[in-house]
Amino acid sequence: MLFNSIEFAIFFPLVIVLYFLLPRKLGTLHLLVASCIFYMAFIPAYILILLVTILIDYTAGIFLERITGPGRRLLLIVSIVSTCLVLFVFKYFYFVVDNVIGVSGFFGLQLSQPTISILLPIGLSFHTFQSLSYVIEVYRGHQRAEANFLNYATYVMFFPQLVAGPIERPQNLLHQFREKHDFDYDRVTSGLKRMAWGFFKKLVIADRLALYVNDVYGDPQNHNGLQLTIATVFFAYQIYCDFSGYSDIAIGSARVLGFTLMENFNKPYHALSISDFWRRWHISLSTWFRDYVYLPMGGNRVAPHRHYGNLLLTFGLSGLWHGASWTYVVWGLLNGFYLVCASITRPWRKRVFGAIGLPETSLVRRAIMLATTFALTCAGWVVFRAQSLADAAYIFTHFTRDWDFSSIGTEQFLLRQMPVAVGGIVLLEAAQLLQGRVSVSEVLARVPLVPRWALYSAFVLGVLMFGVYRKTQFIYFQF
Amino acid sequence: MSNPRPPLTPLLASCRILSFFVLVGLLALALDAGIDAGLRRIRTSEFGVWNHIVNGAINADVLITGSSRALTHYDARILQERLGRTAYNIGLNGSQTDMQVARLRTYLEHNRKPELLIHNLDLFSFQTTHGGVYDPGQYLPYIGEPALYEALSRINGNTWKSRHLPLYGYAVEDLRFTWIQGVRRWFGWNPAEDHFQGFKPRHLPWTGEFERFKAQNPQGARFEVEPEGVREMEALLELCRERRISVLLVYSPEYRDMQAMTRNRAEIFARFGQLGERFAAPLWDFSDSPLSPQQDKFYNSQHLNAEGAALFSVALAERLARDQTLASRPAGDRRADRH
Repeated sequence: MLFNSIEFAIFFPLVIVLYFLLPRKLGTLHLLVASCIFYMAFIPAYILILLVTILIDYTAGIFLERITGPGRRLLLIVSIVSTCLVLFVFKYFYFVVDNVIGVSGFFGLQLSQPTISILLPIGLSFHTFQSLSYVIEVYRGHQRAEANFLNYATYVMFFPQLVAGPIERPQNLLHQFREKHDFDYDRVTSGLKRMAWGFFKKLVIADRLALYVNDVYGDPQNHNGLQLTIATVFFAYQIYCDFSGYSDIAIGSARVLGFTLMENFNKPYHALSISDFWRRWHISLSTWFRDYVYLPMGGNRVAPHRHYGNLLLTFGLSGLWHGASWTYVVWGLLNGFYLVCASITRPWRKRVFGAIGLPETSLVRRAIMLATTFALTCAGWVVFRAQSLADAAYIFTHFTRDWDFSSIGTEQFLLRQMPVAVGGIVLLEAAQLLQGRVSVSEVLARVPLVPRWALYSAFVLGVLMFGVYRKTQFIYFQF
Repeated sequence: MSNPRPPLTPLLASCRILSFFVLVGLLALALDAGIDAGLRRIRTSEFGVWNHIVNGAINADVLITGSSRALTHYDARILQERLGRTAYNIGLNGSQTDMQVARLRTYLEHNRKPELLIHNLDLFSFQTTHGGVYDPGQYLPYIGEPALYEALSRINGNTWKSRHLPLYGYAVEDLRFTWIQGVRRWFGWNPAEDHFQGFKPRHLPWTGEFERFKAQNPQGARFEVEPEGVREMEALLELCRERRISVLLVYSPEYRDMQAMTRNRAEIFARFGQLGERFAAPLWDFSDSPLSPQQDKFYNSQHLNAEGAALFSVALAERLARDQTLASRPAGDRRADRH
């Protein structure tokens, strides 16, 4: 079920109440049952796929701890391959088939599409990677194998982060299922506030911007350069608010229950370089690729040409993780290319900034770096969001053409929505600028109860009235 | 540093959290009622027309119904002046026949029945609403009206939520911030008047939509004749027959080049003719009107602009007068019976 649904509004309070009322020993079972119900609200039968991957990796973890010698490595490989096979079949089968048909057609062979129909189980990429990190950490000796099947199953299926992350590490999450979580007013309200902020990002900002982006990116040839530009910037905020909003709701709902999930975003559009951006964006995925792909290949501790190859391969795979489409692969490779260029040009850039008298602490220099990073990121988002590489090429070549300020709105996005959309982005950026400088929760805690509750009520009603409630999934559900 | 609050017991803490959500619920109820009441106090524009309907303030002798083509083609002021009868236009923008019938039923619930109902026909008259109504926010203050609620419920299974859950309709179904109008009304605001006895003139130049349509549909278009759509048209005519309301079916002018692009035009018009015959409703087809080839009288292939609408309304009024469609009675003769 979606977080932004009436079903979740009924489901979640019931889960919380039962969790804190039930005896401690039934808590994990309760969470597992709740997570099953949550997942089965999408396509019930696909829970079997989840159970298969759970069984594979649970069993692998136990044997990895018992076995020594070369058999251990083989078992790890078998576990990884079988888990990835599930992902491959459901996610990449048609992509591979389409490309094989395309290539063979080029050589004169006419192959036909298979008639079977395969639907991608929701959240497959996320829980697959979470399972993989478990077996790898057990293999490396960084994590004890979980003997309690219930704990392990709940670790994989924990509903707040089941379908769109954060992709947790066993060292962080697994032990929490063995701990006692009492009802704590401050922690529960903190979790609810985090969820409210996530709903604001998702409903008020992301889903409203989606109306504009869908119209323009759905038919770029019938929109002018100004609309293409606005849609691209809007998409940058749409995907950020959609995904980070989901993460906020996931982290907040876990916190209500007493669990701590890892942070997944850290003001990514305040990054001063692409590498800084990737330390702030989808942190759980970028660190996963860093720890399990990039560093094992040698990272940057190898010859430059191998380092650059490692970057391109890691980001290419990251792009492929996002979806079975060349647009995602190109997006990933583009980001890898940015990092390669950044590495190559670092000394030169340092000299240039030095020559024009802009030290690292200079506000102007930081503004230039921030704007450049944002522009490069947006260029990547064009490829990511476009329906095809041809559409992406069209958009790139038409950004500056036919700007028409009298024709900004689109079919779904009436101009009256613009103040809400822009206002939401401004509020978001203002909150992010305050974050780290001022503790908003501490400031609010000092406000007397009546005005404080008036503020909270106004915020909740504001999200309700300014939110968009089209049946839109979170973007990252499709990955 | 704030003084630490003594820790709350789980029960007290739960009650505190619950009471916050109860407060939000009560505020939502109050806001919902306030928005509804505010919208029902609007006297101008689209909500003005709805409020005139539900307040029984129209009671016209000649009533125009239909879609946006009715809304923008028939100047009720011209008809009233030329015919010496009160006239009003309840054409509904972006609507299919099902919602037009619902609007008519609501009108008849609160107003005296008209002597003559002029129903504008469209190429899509035999289609029903799919994928949600256009501008759902306009119906929210009146969702308790039986005819509207029934029609909306057939289209959208979640209509009961709009009726019974506070703010659901304004928050979830409506994307136009209709609720802000309701709030603003409490501060004395009324929208600028753009409906004149229900008629909404469109002072727009030719938009070029038709050229884009032609480019994307070089083979033309086919307008489905849905069985349910035929039933809705029959329902409208049957309603008028039951209430003894004279009906005139009018196909108002359409840009000529579009006529050639409608692949099943003959089928649709044959249906119009059959219905007209069955229900003894005259059918006036203005497809060959002198206005049809004049692009400067339209703003798109389906809609006359204000100038075109004025000319059409005069032509219609003159024909009505010549045809003596309205039995000669003193103007202002308001019979007591509504139905």
